[in-house]
Amino acid sequence: MQQTPPRWAHWLLTQLHPDNTLEEVEGDLDELYTYWYRRAGPTQAALRYLLNVVSVLPPFVLRRSNNKQQYEQPTNMAMLSNYLKIAWRNIVLNKAFSTINILGLALGMACSLLIFLWIQDELRVDNYHANGPQLYNVLERQFYDGKIRTGKGTPGLLPDELKKLFPEIVYAAGFTGSDAQLTFAVGDKAVKETGRWAGADWFNMYSIPLLAGTAETALNAPNNLAISRKVAATYFDTPQQAIGKSIRIDNNRDYQVTAVFEDLPDHASTKYDFLLNWQDCLERNSWMKEWGNNGPRTRIMLRPDANVANLEAKMRFLMRKLDKKLNPKQFDIQLFLQPYQEAYLYSNFENGQQSGGRIEYVRLFGIVAVFLLLIACINFMNLATARSARRAREVGVRKVIGARRGLLIGQFVGEALLLTVLALGIALALVFLLLPAFNLLTGKHVSLNLTDNTFWLILLGMTFLTGIVAGSYPALFLSSLNPVRVLKGSLKFGSGARLFRQGLVVFQFGLSMLLIVGTIVVYRQVNYIQTKNLGFDRENLIYVPADGELGTKYETFKAELQQMPGIQAVSYMGELPINLGSSTGGVTWTGKDPNVNIQFTQTSVGYDFVKTLKVKVKGRDFSKDFSTDTTNYLINEAALQRIGYKDPIGQPLTMWQRPGKIVGVIEDFHFQSLHDPIQPLILRLAPNATQTNILVRTQSGQTSQAMASLESLAKRMNPKFPFSYQFADAEYENLYKSESMVGELANYFAFLAIFISCLGLFGLAAFTAEQRTKEIGVRKVLGASVSNIVGLLSQDFLKLVLIAIVISSPMAWYVMNRWLQNFSYKIGIEWWVFAIAGLLAIGIALLTVSFQSIKAALMNPVKSLRSE
Amino acid sequence: MRRTYLGEFEEVVLLMVAILDGEGYGVTVSQALEEHTGRIVTFGTVHNTLIRLEEKGFVRSELGGATTERGGRRKRLFRVTALGSRALQEIQQLRQDLWQLLPPNTLRLGGV
Repeated sequence: MQQTPPRWAHWLLTQLHPDNTLEEVEGDLDELYTYWYRRAGPTQAALRYLLNVVSVLPPFVLRRSNNKQQYEQPTNMAMLSNYLKIAWRNIVLNKAFSTINILGLALGMACSLLIFLWIQDELRVDNYHANGPQLYNVLERQFYDGKIRTGKGTPGLLPDELKKLFPEIVYAAGFTGSDAQLTFAVGDKAVKETGRWAGADWFNMYSIPLLAGTAETALNAPNNLAISRKVAATYFDTPQQAIGKSIRIDNNRDYQVTAVFEDLPDHASTKYDFLLNWQDCLERNSWMKEWGNNGPRTRIMLRPDANVANLEAKMRFLMRKLDKKLNPKQFDIQLFLQPYQEAYLYSNFENGQQSGGRIEYVRLFGIVAVFLLLIACINFMNLATARSARRAREVGVRKVIGARRGLLIGQFVGEALLLTVLALGIALALVFLLLPAFNLLTGKHVSLNLTDNTFWLILLGMTFLTGIVAGSYPALFLSSLNPVRVLKGSLKFGSGARLFRQGLVVFQFGLSMLLIVGTIVVYRQVNYIQTKNLGFDRENLIYVPADGELGTKYETFKAELQQMPGIQAVSYMGELPINLGSSTGGVTWTGKDPNVNIQFTQTSVGYDFVKTLKVKVKGRDFSKDFSTDTTNYLINEAALQRIGYKDPIGQPLTMWQRPGKIVGVIEDFHFQSLHDPIQPLILRLAPNATQTNILVRTQSGQTSQAMASLESLAKRMNPKFPFSYQFADAEYENLYKSESMVGELANYFAFLAIFISCLGLFGLAAFTAEQRTKEIGVRKVLGASVSNIVGLLSQDFLKLVLIAIVISSPMAWYVMNRWLQNFSYKIGIEWWVFAIAGLLAIGIALLTVSFQSIKAALMNPVKSLRSE
Repeated sequence: MRRTYLGEFEEVVLLMVAILDGEGYGVTVSQALEEHTGRIVTFGTVHNTLIRLEEKGFVRSELGGATTERGGRRKRLFRVTALGSRALQEIQQLRQDLWQLLPPNTLRLGGV
């Protein structure tokens, strides 16, 4: 029978007894305990055990020395731990250099990681649907006026027609192209909600989880309404309770809630809080039922085995059949498909062909990430090779003892990897700290997802790549040294290594220069957009949707509003003045070439339009004094140019078979994005203000009074609708969000690039100054002044930076010129941009180097020359 | 006279190791001590002595003979080295020589 001694006494033994005799003593005492237990019982045994344990504890016990020295066979582990030890000692020995290396790498890696997270997030957008690969958008190529334009708008009847015609198409749904703001009322509660209209197949096509209701019945009747979880929570207790309840929309029609869907995720490119049925959309917008009008989007889902190219070929000329009025000689339409998952990143088309979109920013930032990492790697390479003289002895000794070259390469690459791993730790901490600010800047919800395998894979890949790129040159260089020469002490490095280092510095500063020029150009372009005179005054302009009574009793509203403080002028407009989208070819005039189809942008406006928007006009504004103005037109200068009248005022113009006269020509103003040139525009008078936006011009400096007037009046006249408004200037800036974001990000990246480059330069300068200590001493003794020596040390580096500037300027010009091609209205890239960027680079480089060179120049020559 | 000093207790332990003839380790040595001499000493004393003897080169040891009753732990088994047995013989020889020198009756008088 085995007896176990008191556990705590045993524990004491294992903790305190010398390791090399523990096993035998433990065993012996166990055996003795069993012996005592049999002889004298448990108490005695325990006591004796304790006593004997104490007798073998320090200080009583003797230590068995390993005097039978078994020489340990050196294993791979031993060598590895030696490498590790040496690497660590090198890091600690040169604290300044290590800090520069690790800091540079950490900054570069943190930046790359942030960019990687951003790219990953961009790639995820719209990429989460189960049927993703089968989903397509139907797009139009329009051929007219000698141009090819690509449009996302299609006729409203197209989705159902496609589904009928082609067996490859499982589902098809229409989808309105812009957000609708409608007022939802349940009982006394009325809130504006944002949403769209969509076809009945919608929830079958897209993976949007339904909390209540079914995909089949969600949108299959005209008064059906699908709402998001958020909206359901606003009006009802639970999603289930919402089903079957009615919601009054815009105070004139009741809709039944037939489905509640989960709030759309961050990765949805279009977000909506409700969906209405497609029949309802066609009823509200009867123009959509005509084949000649384009507006809503067409989305389809194909069978998994469908041949996409085949289908595309079959539907290419379909519009010629469907639209009887289509005259292909004047105006031709070809249908084509774009994979739904690509639509977000590849949204731009030029001459009917895909020409980029956000993917360009994704690529751009990807390249920037690589650049930043490369700059940091170069720091490492430079400093490691510069200081190679110090490691040369070690290499010599190792080689003499028998290290082969492969092992040495392994050692130095390993050191680089060790440093990279340290840097990675810091980088991760930085990313963690910076993420909230980064999200704020990019408007994303990126998080460090540690359970994501690709994230770890990328991390691993990045570390390895960085370590190997950074470590490869020093490793190859150091391992190639000849041990005999190294150990004899007559080590002379050829000019090859120095030239290579200089090349790297040029490369680094070239990249930095590229980024600085890029930043300046983007900043100036964004600034140009933000301050550009659009042709109308966007300051002090407010949009108010003409909901309910505001539309029907507009005249009263206008009359009362104009009496109130802070209000200058009031008018209305069918769309928003910065974003007119609707165009038509149905315009004729005397002398028009029947074979040419010119598309005119058109919208409807109210009286006092010119005064409210503050545009310049030749002729006159629409006026109540002329009853015929209801069929008259205002055109812009671009339209006049296409029409070609010499003296346009009073000349006839017919739009949509409505003959009228041109009463005024307004000076071109920007009603679309500055990416596009100003299109010809025709304005007609809207019969009433319903379904329009009321434009309110306020007196400058009196915005708050004006807002108070507006709100009180709107609430009094229109109590069923919540008061809502937008500021024209804020909306305008929203149009260029991505440009502003790119500008701001570019700022940070350029700063980081130059900072990391300077870290490297700083280290290199320190090294050179240290190497030339004796030379400087001798020069000083012979009478050189401090400024002489600073000049001497700085000029080497300045030369490199100058070369970098000369090489990278044309490249920067080329790249930025291409970016500016995206804008029809843009700044020129002037020479002084390069001058500023160059001076900046030189200035910063000089500052960095001079710190070291001044320190070296001020050194007492006695100190540097005393020894030897 | 280059002879390593061997203490009284050391000598007894060395003898025990010799008696046990390859079976000697901590437990058997201390049990043998108790059995043959009636001396009860702590295990630590035996342990230290064995270490010291090995350091002086009188015994050598090797690990082995793990049994379940000691939890599978190995024993350190001791054997007397050539130096050890010579030391014991020399002590024995010295004693005998000294006994020879003893005047007759000396011990008998005080002894009984």
